[in-house]
Amino acid sequence: MTAAPRPTTVGEAGSVGKGRTLPAGAADTAPGPGKRSWRGTFGGEALSGYLFVAPAVVLFAVMGLYTVGYGFLLSFASWNGFMPHWTWVGLDNYADLLWRSPIYAPRVRSAGLNTLWVMIAVPVLTVMVSFPLAVLLNRARRMQAVLRSVFFLPYVTSGIAVFFAWQYILQPDGAVNLLLGQLGLGSLQQPQGWLGNPDTALPTLIVVTVWSAVPVSMLLYLTGLQTIDRSLLEAAELDGAGWWRTNASVVWPLLRPITAIVVLLNLRDSLQGFQTFLVMTNGGPGDHTNVLGLEAYSLAFLKQLRPTLGLASALGWLLFAAALVLALINLRALRSKT
Amino acid sequence: MTSIPVADKRPHATAHPDRAGRAGGRPGESGARNRRILARTVVGLLLAGYGLVSVYPFLWMVSAAFKDQLEVVSGGHLIPKNPTFDTLIDTWNKLHFFDFFLNSLLVTLYTVVLTLVIYAAAGYAFAVLRFPGRTFLSRLFVSLLFVPGVTVMLPIVLLENEMGILGTHWGLVLPFVNGGAPLSILLMTGAFSAIPAELRDSARVDGASEFRIFLNIYLPLAQPALITVALLTAIPTWNEYLLTRVSLNDQSTFTLPLGLQTLAAENVPHYNNLMAGALIVVIPVVLLFVCLQRYFVNGLVGAVKG
Repeated sequence: MTAAPRPTTVGEAGSVGKGRTLPAGAADTAPGPGKRSWRGTFGGEALSGYLFVAPAVVLFAVMGLYTVGYGFLLSFASWNGFMPHWTWVGLDNYADLLWRSPIYAPRVRSAGLNTLWVMIAVPVLTVMVSFPLAVLLNRARRMQAVLRSVFFLPYVTSGIAVFFAWQYILQPDGAVNLLLGQLGLGSLQQPQGWLGNPDTALPTLIVVTVWSAVPVSMLLYLTGLQTIDRSLLEAAELDGAGWWRTNASVVWPLLRPITAIVVLLNLRDSLQGFQTFLVMTNGGPGDHTNVLGLEAYSLAFLKQLRPTLGLASALGWLLFAAALVLALINLRALRSKT
Repeated sequence: MTSIPVADKRPHATAHPDRAGRAGGRPGESGARNRRILARTVVGLLLAGYGLVSVYPFLWMVSAAFKDQLEVVSGGHLIPKNPTFDTLIDTWNKLHFFDFFLNSLLVTLYTVVLTLVIYAAAGYAFAVLRFPGRTFLSRLFVSLLFVPGVTVMLPIVLLENEMGILGTHWGLVLPFVNGGAPLSILLMTGAFSAIPAELRDSARVDGASEFRIFLNIYLPLAQPALITVALLTAIPTWNEYLLTRVSLNDQSTFTLPLGLQTLAAENVPHYNNLMAGALIVVIPVVLLFVCLQRYFVNGLVGAVKG
């Protein structure tokens, strides 16, 4: 695409040039040297291209390709990380995880079920909170910048520190129970703590996940809203559509591509993410908040001498397969939009 | 603003909705105005309400960080009765949070610098230079986005164990840098592509080398993208916990998230110290965000769209 043979500024550039021996006039008039230097440039260009990507490629080869290949092979072996040799077991790891093993298959099934709940609830709730929030925020004029920063705080600090803060306020004598008592909703208080009660632990973690997912989704909706032509909304209002109708039947359909992105981002994060779960409950109480990512992590790192490394790899690859399916749906959904 | 002349041509148009209130003269105007004020109030309350939800855990984090051990155990109020700096000072000094802070700073700094150097160069190659295999390579990098972190974490730890860098800061930095590749390459390639090719062409005629063009023309022009990449690398690195937890063993190498983890893992966690530590983790990030907000927003939107 940069095939334009001669830039028009040659004369000017030549006069400022330092190391160039060819007089500006000669370069201008003679097509011969120009052509040769173009070919030379291209050869040099390929070389510099490789030089420029070399560091990234080397790092990727070691930390990316090698580890991916290693992990893939390991998923067909049994190993505890200390024995000198792997024991090849073929597809046994996959079979054990999916149906065969009486120890692991039920765990994977219950973790899969929990993951499924998270994958359903988090995207739906995130859209339900962030779309109205963005619409309201878009209306607010004066306070918009300040409020946007405030709403963004959960994203900026999303990490272990904030999850400990959540853990702190969700304790039996924590701030959430305190607040409920003050609001006269004492019957909703959780004496075991919100994360200690098996019935409330998973919903609570879902709420925390939504809380940290809302900022980015809201921001995406907000940028979408700002691209909508104002006259379109005015036309709807003139036709007698109230504020509610306008948003429900004009804005919402217009922003459907953004909803697709928000849903898919959150689906992917719900499938793969487990940090909140590891930090706040570590799967407990009694595996009620175990999810697939966490199961893979504990199979890989928390089983000491048991030969679960192959199982961990296999579970990782099952997650990868699921992520790939999501990505393909993603691609198709985005393509059908354009 | 362009909508106003259009609206004027139509007989029923009331121009801009905001101006309708001031236009006056029509029956029911004051009722409409009252409704609008009511709507404004409701919107304001809803926004403030969610704002409170957003900051709620932080409020209690700050509150606990200024309480002493006795008060934090007895639960109680958001506003500490006897606010004290001792908790923060103790956490910083006696609980080694100063060391953890330095370690976090080093790891983050190395990761950001390496990321900028490596992926600015790669982005330049992908955006500007033409060489066989360019498309294939750039797709390969982006495809890394779809590999779940937990899938490669185990091989990374095993590999680093063999290389002898497991447990060192470099053992964290290298995978962090590589993990940021897709996003950084995407953002840098986008920024370099937007720079007109004529600049490079004329510099070439000038006899400038490829490296010089990159360094003196493209890098300065791509400064906003560089800041965005730095931010979007620094913050996840600062907070990283999953790989760090299984890599580091020696407390002298611990980063802040691991420091927090050791406090939380005590039999009876001292929540005032834990929250003071959490505050130490959060404050630098919030400061960065407040100062460089617009780079964040641009970067996130660009990253998702790409």
